[in-house]
Amino acid sequence: MESTTDFYNLIDALKADSANSLGLFMPEITLCVFIALFLAVRLVTTKLDLFWVALAGALVGLISSNPLQLCEGSVESEELFTGLLVHDGLTIAIRSILMLFLVLFLIFTKISGVPDKEDGADVYSLVFGSTLGMCLMASANHLLIVFLAIEMAGVPSYVLAGLIKGRKRGSESALKYAIYGAGAAGVMLYGISLLVGLSGTAHLPTMALELAQIIPQAGLGEQAVLCLAAVMISVGIAFKLSAVPFHFWAPDVFHGACAEVNAFLSVASKAAALALLLRLAVGLGSVPLSEIEAPQAIQQTVEAHQETVQTDLLPTHLVSLEDEAVSGSDEDIEVQSSEPVEAEAVADTESPTTEAEVVEAVDPRLEIKQGHDEALSPVRNFIGLLVAFFAVITATFGNLAAYGQKNIKRLLAYSTIAHAGYMMMAVTPLMMMLGTDNNGAEQAASALIQYIVVYVFLNLGAFAIIAFLRNYVGSEEIEDYSGMVKSRPVLVICLALIFFSLVGLPPLSGFLGKFAIFASLADGYSTAGSSALLVLLIAGGLNTAISLFYYLGVIKTMVMGEPDESHHLGDRPVGRIEMAYVLVVSIPTVFLIVCWQWVAGFADEAVKHFIS
Amino acid sequence: MDLLAVAWPYWHQFFFIIFATIAIGFGFGVLLSKNVVRMAFYLVLSLGSTAGLFFLAGAEFVGAMQLMIYVGGTLVLLIFGVMLTAQKDFINMDTHTQDWILATIVGGSLLMVLLFGAFGAEDWRTPQDINDAHVSATKEATPLGLALTGIRVDTLGESTDAVADGKSGYLMPFIIVSFHLLVVLIGAAYMARTKKLSHATDDKSSRAKLMLFKMEHEEEPLEEAKYVVTHKGKSALNPLDPNDEN
Repeated sequence: MESTTDFYNLIDALKADSANSLGLFMPEITLCVFIALFLAVRLVTTKLDLFWVALAGALVGLISSNPLQLCEGSVESEELFTGLLVHDGLTIAIRSILMLFLVLFLIFTKISGVPDKEDGADVYSLVFGSTLGMCLMASANHLLIVFLAIEMAGVPSYVLAGLIKGRKRGSESALKYAIYGAGAAGVMLYGISLLVGLSGTAHLPTMALELAQIIPQAGLGEQAVLCLAAVMISVGIAFKLSAVPFHFWAPDVFHGACAEVNAFLSVASKAAALALLLRLAVGLGSVPLSEIEAPQAIQQTVEAHQETVQTDLLPTHLVSLEDEAVSGSDEDIEVQSSEPVEAEAVADTESPTTEAEVVEAVDPRLEIKQGHDEALSPVRNFIGLLVAFFAVITATFGNLAAYGQKNIKRLLAYSTIAHAGYMMMAVTPLMMMLGTDNNGAEQAASALIQYIVVYVFLNLGAFAIIAFLRNYVGSEEIEDYSGMVKSRPVLVICLALIFFSLVGLPPLSGFLGKFAIFASLADGYSTAGSSALLVLLIAGGLNTAISLFYYLGVIKTMVMGEPDESHHLGDRPVGRIEMAYVLVVSIPTVFLIVCWQWVAGFADEAVKHFIS
Repeated sequence: MDLLAVAWPYWHQFFFIIFATIAIGFGFGVLLSKNVVRMAFYLVLSLGSTAGLFFLAGAEFVGAMQLMIYVGGTLVLLIFGVMLTAQKDFINMDTHTQDWILATIVGGSLLMVLLFGAFGAEDWRTPQDINDAHVSATKEATPLGLALTGIRVDTLGESTDAVADGKSGYLMPFIIVSFHLLVVLIGAAYMARTKKLSHATDDKSSRAKLMLFKMEHEEEPLEEAKYVVTHKGKSALNPLDPNDEN
């Protein structure tokens, strides 16, 4: 009898939880609806250009992801769908960035003419499907979702790499991408299964809690398994980030796919992968306070439900809770920790006098959290050093390999790899400061978000210009760009600005992003004192200097080179729409410094409740 | 079954050895065979006996899924695909010696690391005294099915909230993955569809395509020329003639 009511309680809790979650899941639902709509519209009419439908979808997605929510005030962290996803400032920020990128990207594809009207429906479905996966990556709170989201973002992009059919190079790059992707996903899945096997759960906060208990008494075998699992999971993420040594696919895919797809892969995919890296690193490296106070979403709603029913039982209930909270020793953390929530939840609905009493009961949670976080410090150190290792070799290799490139898309592929390295650098100080200096850790995460915001515009602009130039010149070889400034000054000047910004020269936006990350590295070094951070800082500085030369090389060819008449096919002037688009995308590069306060504020709000 | 257990207490080990031998043996078969069709068939046997191992471990749901998805679905498709596409030149696969050496080094070291990991954790080793114990599998398909609809009945038995907390219902991924499959199907259809080059509808798209093919042509002239001839659309969008815009 008892079990039956329990079962119905579970169903009620699921209903309440789903209803609540769906409200916060609107951008993803929008994407799903529009994927279906692309198919449905073509049943009715084949005349309509689906670009407009797609643009409407992206705009609805952008509005429903509600970036302004962050400006109004900080957003509390909240678990969705029984703990599978988490909705907090970071989710909103990354989702908004992705949706904004989607809008700009769709307009870009319309202007450049790839895909054409006939392919539009399919390509837009793929792009939306991939973006859906990226949104899930940004809000994953469960290792199942981590894997699912990576696959959802990855598989459609394998098709996108072979977007233009009949081109040998394009098909080759699509196949390479798919095979490497499948391999990386397999390795990652193995790592996930090791981690889940050891901790007995795939829910990240619970996993952190379990790890905090496992690690202090772990034998050599368990430690080795944990390290192995972390390394294997990092393979999957490194592949998404195109971090060395899992970057093989990037130059080939970027060379083979058209510039439109490159923009999508280098910006959206990277932003989502970095968000996922943040989620995993912070999720495994610390036990959130909410985990200690509040158990499962379902349980919470059940309690809330029960409380409304049995209000008459409250007084005795509360008294017994407080007794337990005071008398409970540190050993029965689990039992004890669940109690204050109930008390707190009750206090919220009840009189303010009880609230004051409950505040005392909250204190033990902080102590418990501190204990857990201390136990997890080896995890944080390991993740921090692992990411630092990847970051240093990625940035260095990317910049060095970019030197020998003759094709602009290949050059930008290596530049993308190098920038992935810079962005990963922010995770190490985050890990080193987490637990000891949470403000510093938040600053590091915020620096990463700022860099992502900057980077979206830079790479989108660079690839847009490359695509437009391809449409006019029919070449993507750097030597064919020689003397271009005379015939197409606006595009060349914008590309030069973007390249200077990618180097990180002040006062362009790239400088601000890079400065934020280097500042958090320096901050981390002064507080945590880890020499890895100093190495990162030096490597970052050196790499910036190295990268100057190959970017400058391209600009020099375009500005100082002699125009080679044989290569200039069709001397049509650059269209006004193209020019306008490039200018719009380049504006943030120059003027972001004016409203930098706003960007920094946006990023700070985004990570405010991320580290608790 | 009890009778069997009494008569011969080692039937569990017996079946384990049989299934494991089949799985590993035909795994090697896939590696060593040169005929593509045979490889596919060996893979069926190998994966099928892996399903047997899952059943033995008491994971009947996973075992059934392994049979249905891999053996029943994927591999049948694979075999049809192989049979339909394997023509004279492609039916035999020869692996070079250096590829063998490289693959052995990479695969072998990965295997070593994984074995080390698999036997690393204390919890994962078989306790020595369990060999004679009666092994009984619990019914798990019902809770699993309920978990896929979002209801974790196994949370009811948990003593602490923190453990129950880690158990999420799988309703959302169950539904969202259907959209993933839809998108992937669209992608597969897109890849498989033949598209005439001349179909680029507006000026801008045709120009973009023209340039894309022109670049390809400059890199590999022969391939490109062959490609153009195979299409009916006369001179329309001939990459050899970049000034033709329609």
